[in-house]
Amino acid sequence: MEITKLSFAFRHRRLFHDLSLRVGAGELVHIAGPNGAGKSTFLATVAGLLTPGAGTVAYHGSHGPIQDRRDALEYLPAEANGLYLKMGATQNLQFWSRLRGLNLSPPEIWTALTPWNLNHPLLRDGFAVEKFSTGMKRRLALARLQLSPAIGWLLDEPVYGLDAEAMTIFTTMLAQHLAKGGFALMVSHDLLPFAGLITKTVVIGSKSGTAGAA
Amino acid sequence: MMNSPFWRHYRTLVSQGIQAELADLERLVSPVLFALTTLLLFAFAIGDVEPALRVHIYLAETFLTALFALQINFSRLFEPDRQDRVFDLMRTYPVDHTAWFLAKYTLVLAMGSATLGPTLAFAAFVNQSPSQPLFSWVVVGVAAMALAGLAALGVLLSAMTLKANARQILYPLLYFPLATPVLLAAVQSSQLYLSSGQITADVRAWLGLLLGFDVIYITLGALLFTELVDES
Repeated sequence: MEITKLSFAFRHRRLFHDLSLRVGAGELVHIAGPNGAGKSTFLATVAGLLTPGAGTVAYHGSHGPIQDRRDALEYLPAEANGLYLKMGATQNLQFWSRLRGLNLSPPEIWTALTPWNLNHPLLRDGFAVEKFSTGMKRRLALARLQLSPAIGWLLDEPVYGLDAEAMTIFTTMLAQHLAKGGFALMVSHDLLPFAGLITKTVVIGSKSGTAGAA
Repeated sequence: MMNSPFWRHYRTLVSQGIQAELADLERLVSPVLFALTTLLLFAFAIGDVEPALRVHIYLAETFLTALFALQINFSRLFEPDRQDRVFDLMRTYPVDHTAWFLAKYTLVLAMGSATLGPTLAFAAFVNQSPSQPLFSWVVVGVAAMALAGLAALGVLLSAMTLKANARQILYPLLYFPLATPVLLAAVQSSQLYLSSGQITADVRAWLGLLLGFDVIYITLGALLFTELVDES
């Protein structure tokens, strides 16, 4: 992924300016900065949800440029999981995987739910996910991420609400994704689990409004 | 062809939409209950009327009630998608936006039919007299034509007001003026048909207008939906 001179301002407040970044296969980029600096805005902009004031984001696969960014990215927003709250876990995962072109059977979905401790008939089917705890909803969103064939993961506070066990599962999953040639951009205030995986840090929110990579 | 990404997305979105509606039946049932209650209140309020006026009152209250009930249906169209940022996530998925529009349109047609069917049947029942039966399949056909245009308008306005803070105010303000030509054409064509018992040139003229607005709203919906979704 190649980000070139990306800028974004919100009502005359410059959040990031001329941000350039190149992310290769196997890289995990930590997006750092104080609260309100624009880290989530940056991820939303890369995901295509916000239009930048200037700059471009381009994607290159092993066979050349990727025309539609949506084929390459999986976005996990902060404090939301993209779940149909009145529906069950299996229905939710089936829906999102079908949109990715995967026609997974319920047993295949249940297999994906197993590591997240959600593969129980009383939890996975006919039980509205709105009744899940915060951590369980996050686990389900991470199971969706795991099923996705997208090479780029945009993770905004991915471990929000997770217990220690789920955090370990997620770290292993992320390491496997990177080992397979995927990449990830991550905003997280809890860095300890990812210390060995982070290859680059981008700081957003310096006084000049520019961002720097380290 | 039916296995192309377009149709795959369409099928997935329609199926998900139906499941989301069934998971929250209150959303589906409340417009029907609203329509039936309103018709009942109309019947009590208006009371017995002269036979010459009966057709006019029947059509006016039926289509007006249906218009209000459908507005409830339409304005809630994106409610399941607004929860937990599903809509935002959809925008990051490789979904064909025309398939998305058509799926929402199909869903609205299904939901609208579920509201319109009982409304028409009940309105005919409470307004008819032994000497003057009011139920007519031609009126049902006219109502279906009206629904085709109103549904497209509903999807379009729902997408337009998705992120608006004053959505509950903005939606009816936009919907009712734009729905008026459809309502007018539906009432006039039905009234002329029920009065004469045949499809005259005047009936055809009103139906032509109705069809024209259907085409306009469906075309506008298909063309603008992508822009509206991207700008949300």
